[in-house]
Amino acid sequence: MVFNGLVRYQPGNSAVIEPDLATEIPEPEMTADGKQTWTFQLRQGVMCHPGPQTESYELTADDVVYSLQKSATTERSAYAGEYAGMTFEKVDTYTVRITLDRPLSPTLFLPKVANYSGGFIVCAQAVEAMGDEAFKTHPVGTGPFMFQEYTPQTAIKLVAFDQYFRGAPKLAGVELRFMPDVSSRELGLQAGDLDVAEGLIEAQWVERINASGNLRADVFGVGEVSFLNINITKPPFDNPLVRQAIAYAISRDDHVALFNEPVAEPVYSVVPAQLLPGGLTREEAEERGVLFEQDIEKAKQLLAEAGYPDGFSIDLITSEMPTYRRNYEVLQAELAEIGIQVNLNVVAHATMHEQIRQDVNPIVIYVAWRPNADAFLTRFFHSDSIIMTGKAPDTNFSHYDKIDDLIEQARYETDPDRQEELWKQANEQVLRDVAAYPLLFTNQVYARSTAVDYGHELVSSLALYPQITELTTINR
Amino acid sequence: MLRYILRRLLLAIPTLLAVLTVIFFIVRVAPGDPATAALGDYASAEAVAAMRERMGLNEPLWKQYLTFLADLARGDLGRSLITGKPISEQISFVLPYTVELAIAAIVVGLILGVPIGVITALRRNTLIDDIGRIVSLVGLSLPAFYLGIILMFVFAVKLGLLPSVGSAPFSNPGKHLQHVILPALALGLIETAYMARMTRSVMMGILSDDFIRTARAKGLTERMVLIRHALRAGLIPIVSLTGIFAISLIGSSVVVEEVFARPGLGRLMVGATKQRDYTALQSIMVVYSLIIIVINLMTDIIYTFVDPRVRID
Repeated sequence: MVFNGLVRYQPGNSAVIEPDLATEIPEPEMTADGKQTWTFQLRQGVMCHPGPQTESYELTADDVVYSLQKSATTERSAYAGEYAGMTFEKVDTYTVRITLDRPLSPTLFLPKVANYSGGFIVCAQAVEAMGDEAFKTHPVGTGPFMFQEYTPQTAIKLVAFDQYFRGAPKLAGVELRFMPDVSSRELGLQAGDLDVAEGLIEAQWVERINASGNLRADVFGVGEVSFLNINITKPPFDNPLVRQAIAYAISRDDHVALFNEPVAEPVYSVVPAQLLPGGLTREEAEERGVLFEQDIEKAKQLLAEAGYPDGFSIDLITSEMPTYRRNYEVLQAELAEIGIQVNLNVVAHATMHEQIRQDVNPIVIYVAWRPNADAFLTRFFHSDSIIMTGKAPDTNFSHYDKIDDLIEQARYETDPDRQEELWKQANEQVLRDVAAYPLLFTNQVYARSTAVDYGHELVSSLALYPQITELTTINR
Repeated sequence: MLRYILRRLLLAIPTLLAVLTVIFFIVRVAPGDPATAALGDYASAEAVAAMRERMGLNEPLWKQYLTFLADLARGDLGRSLITGKPISEQISFVLPYTVELAIAAIVVGLILGVPIGVITALRRNTLIDDIGRIVSLVGLSLPAFYLGIILMFVFAVKLGLLPSVGSAPFSNPGKHLQHVILPALALGLIETAYMARMTRSVMMGILSDDFIRTARAKGLTERMVLIRHALRAGLIPIVSLTGIFAISLIGSSVVVEEVFARPGLGRLMVGATKQRDYTALQSIMVVYSLIIIVINLMTDIIYTFVDPRVRID
């Protein structure tokens, strides 16, 4: 709401990328020395919000270059890794050229300059006047709403920016409140003190809200994938037969039933086919022989073959958060059926995140969204990302190292179709080795007063909440 | 009196120091990492490492501890690890909200609880007494957040009389006050139950005392007996209970602040705990400890007013 990117995810549908500060999405060009350049023409007359120490001024190529360079600097940005091997230059006041040492497909490149995380274009003069630290709690951009006030743990207030380049917002402002309790959010909505509120990720909740006259619950993407990671180096899970037995013991339907459709959906590869190129649909998983539908007899037989006819027992920790805990509990019941006894210990969410990175769990259930197949595959299945021992330890809980080549080949494939096929192959291999098992996909749930019109149809939003734009209205 | 207050405050310093030390280490022992919390689980390991360095978490623990104490000695509560803003700024913003809520709840407890206690003591074993006892039992068994949700449902959703969630700034007193009523009731009605029960049993004891019989024998009206003699003698336990209640309110206001989405010290602390914002958390705890010390001191001073036999030096 505060920032723009060179391009943006279409409000309400993050599958479509359209121009934002740029006048159009350019075609990449190749240079003689094998580099790739993307040249963006900027809109004219885009104004920056007035900052605490700066006047409003017109955004130019200087600001764009400054912002992207900031994102590429490790000391100044958490996303610097995404911008390695990229240089940014101003061609003239309204033209920016980005040069990539290694060419990328549009699928991987455009999100880096879209209105999300590192792609946000900031107003350079405001940042320079305030310093990075102060800018974090008082952002200055070019979006339809400008920052007004931040109260820690309580609220953020934004007000309409009338000079917004797509036109003045119809709302006077937006107040974002932090309210951890779902029942008070619901009552706040019913009393008319709130207009939009995050709901419960449960089909029953959605039905209940829709049954009340003046409220509507929206179910939309992007959601999160819940999946199993199995440590393939730790006995007895180093035995592929044991991992296959686990896969056959699991029923996707039971996991989906925790939250129910349409809020939850089955998923057939760790990269969800729902929203990302490179994921496997049910048909594709079946064709490639990696569907693993529940088959208890087969699971028992595999376990016996592996030398565990009577099963074994393991200790696992889970977060107290329902999305984790309930999945672990269902898994506990499923594994009990084939003789694997799971002793489950519930810990605080932050504690779980720390402990699973120290290899405490031989089976880790993780709930995640990543913006593209490359991020999913690299961070969960590239050998560099192996927890504790990898070159850059991240979230490869399964200690898996068999698709490094495929991941890298796909990353630098510039043809989107070929790239998609390589990602599918990578997903297939992960499943064949049962290093992971995808359980379910959960959408987001937000409720709103029927008076609220977002100004667009809500299919998916990367921001994890519905977009409030200059077109959003409330008619009471 | 002034010397007494100063001495009490000086004596509080060792207590405070012990509390600080325990807090400092306990918040760091709990597993979880502020850098990961600040950046989200999507952040790369490299970014997290850079963030840890910037937050000063790679310094040896004893050095962090000494810096904390040295800053505190200068009256500096430090900066939040997550927002980089001065913590004193955050606390001074929310503290009035929490103090206001606590005072409002105590007022509700006193103006409802004491009369109910007195009346049920006077009308012992009648229908009024039974109703009073049942109502206070209900009050004792209800958690504040649940009562809060019920009040919100009735008064905000069904009747539309009061706002449900949020708060208004102090600069808008009318609106501001409307936002205080329901949270204050949620906390205060529970105190009412305690207060009524205690007042009832204290008054029952006093009313059978010799000096009450003497007062009645002097020919004083029942009203005078009650107000001048009985209630006055019952004030000490009421003040004690109010003091204890004020301390527990500072803690139990956390849930009510969450339910009503009010700014407050409790919410600030819960948020800081979730984010593992060590510096904010330890400074908030310092303020909590100070508040508790001040409330205890105030209770002791009030004793000297209600009971002249209590001497301070």
